[in-house]
Amino acid sequence: MGSPKALLPWHGSTLLRRVVGLVGRVVDGPVVVVRAPDQVLPALPADVEVAEDPVEGRGPLAGLHAGLTALDGRAEAVYLSAVDVPLLHPAFVRRVLGALDGDDGQGPADAVLPEAHGHRHPLAAAYRTAVAARVAALLEQDRLRPAYLLDQLDVRRLDEAALLHDPALRTADPTLASLRNLNGREDYERAHAEPEPAVSVARFGTLRPVGVRAPVEVLASSVARAAAAVGLELDRHVVAAVDGDRISGDPDVPLAGGETVSFLSAEAGG
Amino acid sequence: MTPGGYFGRALVVDLGTGTAEALPLPDDVLRATIGGAGLGSWLLDRLAPAGVDPLDAAAPLAFVFSPLVGTPLTTSAKLAVVALSPLTGLPSDALASSHFAIAGKGTGHDAIVVHGRCAAPSVLVVEGDEVRLEPAGDTWGRGAADTEEELRARLGRAYRVAAIGPAGERLVRYATISTDGRHAGRGGLGAVLGAKLLKAVAVRPVTKVRPADPDGVLRAAADLRTRSLGPATAKYRELGTLANLLAFNALSTLPTRNFQASSHPQAADLAAEDLGPERRVARASCAACTIGCAHFYAASGGGKVRVEYESVFALGPLCGVTDPDAVLTASRRCDALGLDTISTGGTIAFAMECVEQGLLDEPWLRFGDAAALHRAVELTAAREGVGALLAEGSRRMAAVVGGDSIRFAAQVKGLELPGYEPRTLQAMALGLAVNARGADHNRSGAYEADFAGGHDRLHGGAAHVAAAVTSEDRAAAMDSLILCKFLRGVFQDPFPEWAALLSTVTGWEVDGDELATTARRIVVAKRRLNARFGATAADDWLPARFLDEGLTVASGREARLPAERLRAMIDAYYAARGLGADGAPTAATLAELGLPPVAV
Repeated sequence: MGSPKALLPWHGSTLLRRVVGLVGRVVDGPVVVVRAPDQVLPALPADVEVAEDPVEGRGPLAGLHAGLTALDGRAEAVYLSAVDVPLLHPAFVRRVLGALDGDDGQGPADAVLPEAHGHRHPLAAAYRTAVAARVAALLEQDRLRPAYLLDQLDVRRLDEAALLHDPALRTADPTLASLRNLNGREDYERAHAEPEPAVSVARFGTLRPVGVRAPVEVLASSVARAAAAVGLELDRHVVAAVDGDRISGDPDVPLAGGETVSFLSAEAGG
Repeated sequence: MTPGGYFGRALVVDLGTGTAEALPLPDDVLRATIGGAGLGSWLLDRLAPAGVDPLDAAAPLAFVFSPLVGTPLTTSAKLAVVALSPLTGLPSDALASSHFAIAGKGTGHDAIVVHGRCAAPSVLVVEGDEVRLEPAGDTWGRGAADTEEELRARLGRAYRVAAIGPAGERLVRYATISTDGRHAGRGGLGAVLGAKLLKAVAVRPVTKVRPADPDGVLRAAADLRTRSLGPATAKYRELGTLANLLAFNALSTLPTRNFQASSHPQAADLAAEDLGPERRVARASCAACTIGCAHFYAASGGGKVRVEYESVFALGPLCGVTDPDAVLTASRRCDALGLDTISTGGTIAFAMECVEQGLLDEPWLRFGDAAALHRAVELTAAREGVGALLAEGSRRMAAVVGGDSIRFAAQVKGLELPGYEPRTLQAMALGLAVNARGADHNRSGAYEADFAGGHDRLHGGAAHVAAAVTSEDRAAAMDSLILCKFLRGVFQDPFPEWAALLSTVTGWEVDGDELATTARRIVVAKRRLNARFGATAADDWLPARFLDEGLTVASGREARLPAERLRAMIDAYYAARGLGADGAPTAATLAELGLPPVAV
């Protein structure tokens, strides 16, 4: 790739900043980034936690173990993500995590494993935090492949049809681009050259031009890009909310296709 | 020597005898309480007899000024009205901006306190140390604005007037006191004056305030004026507080149909972004203010009406009404009658839900029915028909209506909730639950932290507790100095900046740390005073609706506020404030802040 994936630029942000933002949008608990020894990370939101992976090169199970250890007692389930998935959509994370609790009528499971595009995707999957002991035992035995873990668990497998059975995901990410990894420089450059996601921009109060009642559609992969697209200057007096939910003054908050970003005065209330 | 900005005394008027005496305000008291809400708490503690009913003749009511009043510092022309609230039974303070503050202080007093009861409806006239009672005459029964005009015509334009409307005369428990068209609105302090048969207070200035460093004050005023015209106040200047409504609707924080929902599909009909350009006929500033947040829209049938978010939310979506003419008409009538628009809308919305649930036999009183809204407003002010019940506020009304209605009476300590949905603003949820005067957005502006995005507003925790504490402290300082909350965004390091202003006016060497401690003392003093008047930890809670019923925000995420989460936040708040499990300050906290024991 030529440079660490976490630091790769992505339309004014970085791959890692983008992925933690997209995942964080869905989960109620903390977001943990697992860092390899001496790994340099890009700027991240203050509430993102960093856990150390003590030994380099032991693969994703070691990373999963470091993350689960950091979350001990604070979460019942996790969504495990690779860093090189800038096309990840929050609706995908919501679908996978929802299946863990059996929200599609299939009953709860230890893990939810997407199987699409001819591959299994253990790094785009959901796990119960209770699996930490099994992960530790496998690491102890030097059995480092995720398949060894999955073999021991009650796994709910979601093929493409099952994933897209969810209407929200079917609308937001019909090709399941969420699972598209950037394995080499060419993958990265091709993805980066594609149009940014189409999002809606709503402006409120003094930020809204007179007569502009409906949201406008722009191509923007972050709050900063959306603001620039409508000629809005971001400063400490402006905050943004994504899909009427989480509010932030951080211009690097990522956006995914179909989302609505609302800009409003930071001097709310009164 | 009296510090700059003060006269060092309050005027205490006995309405029964028409006589007055000066109450000295020592330097150490002033420095510990500053003025406004802080000094008002001290006065109430000193002058209110134990166990007195808020509407009893012996209950005092104080108009309290501050060291900054009368200076050219922008937004400083404010006063706090402090008394026991007929709505909550607890101490309450209501602030308003007006020329009355400047003129009242110009009588040579830091506060004017009234107690006792007039023999007949009267007007109190204060000129320096001289006081007299005049018959209210035909102002009794008239609106506050009319009364103000009539008294100034009768007495002279140098007089400034604070008056009550018909609602105050009829002891509606959420009647306001009005001056310059602004209202000391919350808590029903207008009914306290009504119970004293006091229609109005008219004051004429005879002296001027002298700051310790006049040149320094002028420099500070010029700087603050410049900053007050920047982006932090643009919303208030350009659209007014109604700018909140459409954004709140998008964020699922717009209380709708008595908090059964948090957005309204027709909210856009009430948007300032559209109504402002179409209907605004005037914009005005309060006395000595450079912001100019008051926006007036053309009213149906002629004239104009002041537009505020809280009035529009309460008389609009909260009652299921989104026709702008209907909402603005209701707001204008509340202003004329002297009714707090938040409690009026909150109580009517509660009654509408009681009807919907078959608990109240007033079939005409339906959500979304503008005519019913208008009829209910008039009945309330007149205390006629169901208005006699509405005039009592939602908590007392629930006790009469019965069933499980108390679970959806949206009030805390008896004070109806403002336009901030607690389930989707969980720092604010805590602020609403624990604030001394009840569910309130001016003494606890914790919603600011929820909207700033530093924490997840749907999941209250430690950050939300810290935000609620910080917000209360800042509000206590601003309400005591007094400065308008709409200035808050221009201060990047508030306590040191406010301390510098206070030092320049008074001559004290106050730093940010001392002012922060003073703010904390003021908050704790209010808690102490609440305890003295019977408040307990049980009063720091939200109605069951907010704990039992979830909401779904636009993203699809569910907003829930389980009772155990609120309990944990309140416990953490008590710990941070130095309160015991009963909600009262501990002896150690009182001693640390130089406050007396609860029972004195």
